[in-house]
Amino acid sequence: MNSVTADEERILRVWTPIILRTILVAAIAILLVGLVSIAWQNPGYYVARFHSLQKVGHPQNRETIATLVAASLRGEPRQIMTLGLMVLTLVPLARVAFCFLLFVRERDGTYVAFTAYVLIGLVVGVVLGRVG
Amino acid sequence: MFILLGLLALAVGAGFIGALSGLGGGVFIVPALLIFAHVPMQVAVGASMISVVATSAGASVAFVRDGWTNLRVAMVLECATVTGAVTGAYLAGIVPSWVLELLFALMMLQSAYFTVTKVGDSSVPHGDALAERLKLGGRIPAETGGDEIPYGVVNVPGGAVLMVVAGLMSGLLGIGSGALKVMAMDYVMHIPLKVSSATSNFMIGVTAGAGALVFLSRGDIATVIAAPVALGVTAGALAGSRVLPHVNVQALRTMFVGILLLIAVEMGWRALSGF
Repeated sequence: MNSVTADEERILRVWTPIILRTILVAAIAILLVGLVSIAWQNPGYYVARFHSLQKVGHPQNRETIATLVAASLRGEPRQIMTLGLMVLTLVPLARVAFCFLLFVRERDGTYVAFTAYVLIGLVVGVVLGRVG
Repeated sequence: MFILLGLLALAVGAGFIGALSGLGGGVFIVPALLIFAHVPMQVAVGASMISVVATSAGASVAFVRDGWTNLRVAMVLECATVTGAVTGAYLAGIVPSWVLELLFALMMLQSAYFTVTKVGDSSVPHGDALAERLKLGGRIPAETGGDEIPYGVVNVPGGAVLMVVAGLMSGLLGIGSGALKVMAMDYVMHIPLKVSSATSNFMIGVTAGAGALVFLSRGDIATVIAAPVALGVTAGALAGSRVLPHVNVQALRTMFVGILLLIAVEMGWRALSGF
């Protein structure tokens, strides 16, 4: 075993798996709803979209979260799937956020700084994607 | 419907082989999408990156529970991998496909080398001054039972430099770069192999997640391909990890190396013909 404190043990072994699993199951459920509805309602759109991606390459699906959520609530399968993929990326984000809280509780300044850097890196990723 | 089922089948196969070989689904799904689904490199990279996040999320629960993951090492090195991944994912939108294909071929050669040379441990009982200050050392159970054995960590800067490269490749190519991460921890930082593998698995999700966030917010993820691929690779990886204890992986090693070399040749050829 690694030299972890009782708090680290508890958070690693009990809370992190429960929350990560919940987010993962939610993401998979959303993705499945989107996939089944696209295959059921509009298979022609799926095929057309696939063939256009083969030719064009860049999908250019840039949408705001508000538009995505609104379209998903209207039952648009592609936007439902995009939302599912976004929820999926919350899993690693949540994991880092957990570690951040853990080190804050332990008052371990060095590791708070390391974890904050990783979190900021993830946010910078989103910003770079928006401007890039 | 046929296209959707075909993509799912490809993804399940890639996830299954990825789990059996220990190299992850990304290494196999990118070439599978290029060769069998005829999609462009950037689309394959985006879909693969999402599948790496999904597989890692699925596996993370088991890996964190096993007690081998060294959280502190993971956090220090994630600073390096996330920097590399965000830079790589940003560059992936600019770099021409042939460069990506060439880099992919090189990564396959590195994975093949890793698969061939993956041997014993080179762990050390005490870490160097920097690692001790960062409290990076840990303890692992003795194979014969009895007291736990302490291990130290050395050469953190050297490991971090390799981790930036691993992150960069992850962001550019949509793979987890697990083979490179384990090599950096095992060979350069002298962390015990089992701890390196578990810690690398823990880090892969965050690295790929950083890249996926860049791709997603840029609108560069082809949802209709990425969604079935993510689901299929995860299902294949889960099946692979169930089968893993019952197969002789050593016997399959030659086959994995053969597949990796074939992929390297195919990707190298694509790069040269696209140049």
